[in-house]
Amino acid sequence: MKNFTSHTIETLLASQGVPLAAGRGERLAAGVNDLYVPDPLRAELGFDVDPTTYLKTRNQP
Amino acid sequence: MTEAATLTIAEARARLERRELSAADLLESCRRRIEAWQPRVNAFIDTQVRSPGRQAGPLAGIPLAHKDMFYRAGKVSSCGSKIRRGWVASETSAALERLDAAGALDIGTLNMAEFAYGPTGHNDHWGDCGNPWDPSYITGGSSSGSAAAVAARLVFGSLGSDTGGSVRLPAAACGVTGLKTTWGRVSRHGAMPLSHSLDTIGPLARTAEDCALLFRAIAGPDPRDPLTADASAEVDLERPIGTIALSSAWIEEDAHPAVARAVVAAARAFGVRLREVEPPPFDLLSAHCLTIMQAEASAQHAQWMRSRSQDYSAAVRARLEAGYAIPAAHYLEVLRLRSAWVERWHATLHDADVYLCPAIAVPIPTREETGPRGGPEMPRRLAQVTRLTRWVNYLGVPALVLPCGFDPHGLPIGLQLVGRLFAEETLLAAGLRFQRETDWHRASPRLA
Repeated sequence: MKNFTSHTIETLLASQGVPLAAGRGERLAAGVNDLYVPDPLRAELGFDVDPTTYLKTRNQP
Repeated sequence: MTEAATLTIAEARARLERRELSAADLLESCRRRIEAWQPRVNAFIDTQVRSPGRQAGPLAGIPLAHKDMFYRAGKVSSCGSKIRRGWVASETSAALERLDAAGALDIGTLNMAEFAYGPTGHNDHWGDCGNPWDPSYITGGSSSGSAAAVAARLVFGSLGSDTGGSVRLPAAACGVTGLKTTWGRVSRHGAMPLSHSLDTIGPLARTAEDCALLFRAIAGPDPRDPLTADASAEVDLERPIGTIALSSAWIEEDAHPAVARAVVAAARAFGVRLREVEPPPFDLLSAHCLTIMQAEASAQHAQWMRSRSQDYSAAVRARLEAGYAIPAAHYLEVLRLRSAWVERWHATLHDADVYLCPAIAVPIPTREETGPRGGPEMPRRLAQVTRLTRWVNYLGVPALVLPCGFDPHGLPIGLQLVGRLFAEETLLAAGLRFQRETDWHRASPRLA
């Protein structure tokens, strides 16, 4: 999903009421796109797993 | 005669018990060193005593000071920021309450990255913190003052927070021992939040033994932080260590040669079986950590970003802006993947007690190279500094950083031991074993 553009970023921030300096959108777009790294475990992720599953894993004796 | 402030906590306790030193002697020695070192390192934000300590307890009479984000009722916590300059807390953090109960003195507040959101120790509002080994180099962050103060022997130990490496980076860069605790080990009640799924609190001190003393005091469940786990904080430092896992080929190919040499030599110094394993996917797990950190930090700061964005430094404002562009579905999927990655991590360790790698794979950069005047290379240099710490926060597991050498510029090199969930005891026992065989932790910077 590496398709954020400066326009997308500017729109997203504006919709949340966060001011963005002119020209910042392009650099932010590159940074956000870098967060999308293919994860080999994504394909195996069970339907019933939710974020609290981590807590259950952590608390296992 | 040894200067009292240069002792370890364990040594100071022994001398207090034998009445060879008094608590007043320890405090006076720290005070003298703070006066001499503060102009060089800017480690302290405030040097007023905040808690006088107690006569009884495992830390009785030991002067400590903490990152300025642990609240104390009636006292100012600036959180390294302009926005919270002069803000007075209405309650005391759980971690400070526990150190108070253990008898420790709290002799001031320490410099930190603005809102703990920076890995270098730069601070536009309170002044950069300088590395005691050479102030033109970064301290690492965000617990910059904590590491600088412990390294320069201004205090015996300090609390830091670690969301993406904020205890371990400064511990490595300043040559002290730092423990990143398991997520949920230490109550975060009354500590400034950055990213609730990643934030941890841990000690920085001269040795693993001292970190164990501080860890025992602060760890344990707290109903005021419902995410704390009901796990014992007892630490047997004589626990045997059987096998250490490492990825030698990765270290030799990806780390700077001086760092690689020091870390591989350190692995051998443990005197236990070494087992080669495939390295964890550092960059993938770091990206996941950053997704969570940015989304949560930006949500935490949303009101101020709407109304006072000009009061953040340019660097912190830019980091916060990024979080508003992360889709909720991506953030939540990364959180859903977390338990599978922890299981994969435990499988990687298999029969090993800990995994060993550098804390920072490159020599410590200068403040100029990583600051606003760092030029086009600055983002790449920052990425090199943080490459090996964030993956640990994504997993939520504990890690211990120990000094293990010096780079070509005379700045410390840090070794990182990473364990299973709640394996702080194993890490600290391994750290003690290493520090019995080596003396890197005894090296201390000198005033020019």
